[in-house]
Amino acid sequence: MKLAADRVLGLCLIGLAAFVAVQAVRLHVPFSYDPVGPKAFPLILAILLAALSLVLVLKPGSNGHWPDRSLAVKLLAVLAALLVYALLFTRLGFVVTTLLAAVALARIFAAPWGKALLTGVLMAVGSYYLFTAGLGISLPSGEWLRPFI
Amino acid sequence: MFDFLIQGFGVALSPLNLGLAFLGALLGTLFGALPGIGPINGIAILMPLAYTLGLPAESALILLAGIYTGAEYGGRMSSILLNVPGDAGAVMTTLDGHPLAKQGLAGPALGLSAVSSFVGATLAILGLTLFAPLLAEVAVMFGPAEFFALMVFAFASMSVMMGKDPTKTAIGAVLGVLIGTVGVDSGTGVLRYTFGMPELYDGIDFVVMIIGLFAISEILLMLEHANRKDADGDIPPLGRVFVTLKEVLYCKGAMLRSGLIGFIIGVLPGTGASVAGAVSYTTEKRLSDKEGTFGSGDMRGLAAPESANNAAAAGSFVPMLTLGIPGSGTTAVLLGALMLYNITPGPMMFSERPEVAGGLIASLYIGNLVLLALNLPLAGVFARVLTIPRWVLVPGIAILAFVGVYQLHSDLTAIYLMLIIGVFGYLLRKLGFSLAPVILGYVLGGLMEQNLRRALSISGGEVEILWRSGISLGLWIAAAALLVLPWLLPKMMKARLGRA
Repeated sequence: MKLAADRVLGLCLIGLAAFVAVQAVRLHVPFSYDPVGPKAFPLILAILLAALSLVLVLKPGSNGHWPDRSLAVKLLAVLAALLVYALLFTRLGFVVTTLLAAVALARIFAAPWGKALLTGVLMAVGSYYLFTAGLGISLPSGEWLRPFI
Repeated sequence: MFDFLIQGFGVALSPLNLGLAFLGALLGTLFGALPGIGPINGIAILMPLAYTLGLPAESALILLAGIYTGAEYGGRMSSILLNVPGDAGAVMTTLDGHPLAKQGLAGPALGLSAVSSFVGATLAILGLTLFAPLLAEVAVMFGPAEFFALMVFAFASMSVMMGKDPTKTAIGAVLGVLIGTVGVDSGTGVLRYTFGMPELYDGIDFVVMIIGLFAISEILLMLEHANRKDADGDIPPLGRVFVTLKEVLYCKGAMLRSGLIGFIIGVLPGTGASVAGAVSYTTEKRLSDKEGTFGSGDMRGLAAPESANNAAAAGSFVPMLTLGIPGSGTTAVLLGALMLYNITPGPMMFSERPEVAGGLIASLYIGNLVLLALNLPLAGVFARVLTIPRWVLVPGIAILAFVGVYQLHSDLTAIYLMLIIGVFGYLLRKLGFSLAPVILGYVLGGLMEQNLRRALSISGGEVEILWRSGISLGLWIAAAALLVLPWLLPKMMKARLGRA
């Protein structure tokens, strides 16, 4: 058997189905007013999923185009930028983190430095005022910045 | 009988709702025109804002529906000008639209597609006004067993019609339903698949799910095109801006037929604009392509899919408003948005919440007029949107996604969850899944389980109740036929050919 993306996926999904089924069976139900209870539905889904995944393993489709190395690096960079954005979102406040994230994302998407910085500044400041003053959404303001302004 | 519509126009013509219909149409056209942001993404990004602004349910729905129909208009821009479909519904538009643009007729092509969109949508909205209340009257008789059978039918029809690979469509739907089971089980209070995380007790939030699945995965997917500089090509000159009456009349048959086809396909649960575009194009080609001009810039080949995909968009509101079963991925998102307001669309909506049902339908009439008025003269302006570089677009989407999710509970866990779902969505798309079944499964799964359990508690656990009534039996048979026929028909044809 040839190793195809669909085969790997199918096997992973069968694993998922097994996990779902085991978790459902192990649910502790103190009482249930209806004859079905909370276990049956996930069990049916697990069986369906396993059956469909088996079809995928036996008859995999085409492999599709997967990212090459340089694209994979960029992909990870985007994810890292988003993750750092999330990590610092409340700590540094909306404006600073958004500025950093927007510049980073613009750079990854091949913007020159000048344009990336301009995009970042305009977007961070503009969206902050739009959301807080315009739409009344409260965003982390980054209290630590106050003494410096 | 049309009281709901009169009341609806009363709602839709209030200054706030009129403004929102206009805003929705404008934003929708922009979102549809932007590469990579289709109707679902547009709605996903703006839904949290509509919710935070404290808009009443009918106003939020009017805004979001405006975005939906507007995006179907906007999707044609890049199809015609760049040969890149803006969303799935506009794939067929490229076939004759882009050749027209290359012949220097980009302006008339855009104008014609606006007019065909208007004709198709108007037909379908009229159909919606006529059929939805009738269907609602039938659907009132539906019990839990019938609803369960209906959802099975919806998933079956979706598996066959949506996407290239029925197995993957079905897997996507099952995964969506599974994601929907996370959280407290409403029947017993038992926690399912929460892994001890209190943040998951209420289940995976709808907004987190939509934004992660569509917006974040879209950012990751756009990366593949980031460096394809100018691969999209330059925007051809628009030429003369207006389409002539003669050209419109030349296509009237194509528009009307395709509008009807689009409406019917839109009404079928699980099939949306992309199927409608494809079916109408092939039908029109068979009927009127006498000289073999389709595919090389025939106006009728442009009018057909444009009329059909807008008709399908409006038609997909029929099952959503009357049965609570969305007709497309986008209406599934709208259904979820209504559920945020504790409104479960279904047969009772026309009698219990006529302001929501009627207001929405009335706003579709208004939005459609607004769209035609916006799109005919402003095509050139909207075309400029296509030149926005991705390095502006991507940070913008990221900011809207983060703010949209953060403002739900002022909580970072939701943002992490959104990122995880985004990666999951990206992987699914790379593996050839379409995301609409996932979202349909996620939205319908909970209702499906509730109806199954309610039906079986009525019968005291006897499974027979699920197919005892004529309606439910019919739906089961229809579902089975849908699943078996595509597999059986070719074999039967082959057998007959072999004998002859």
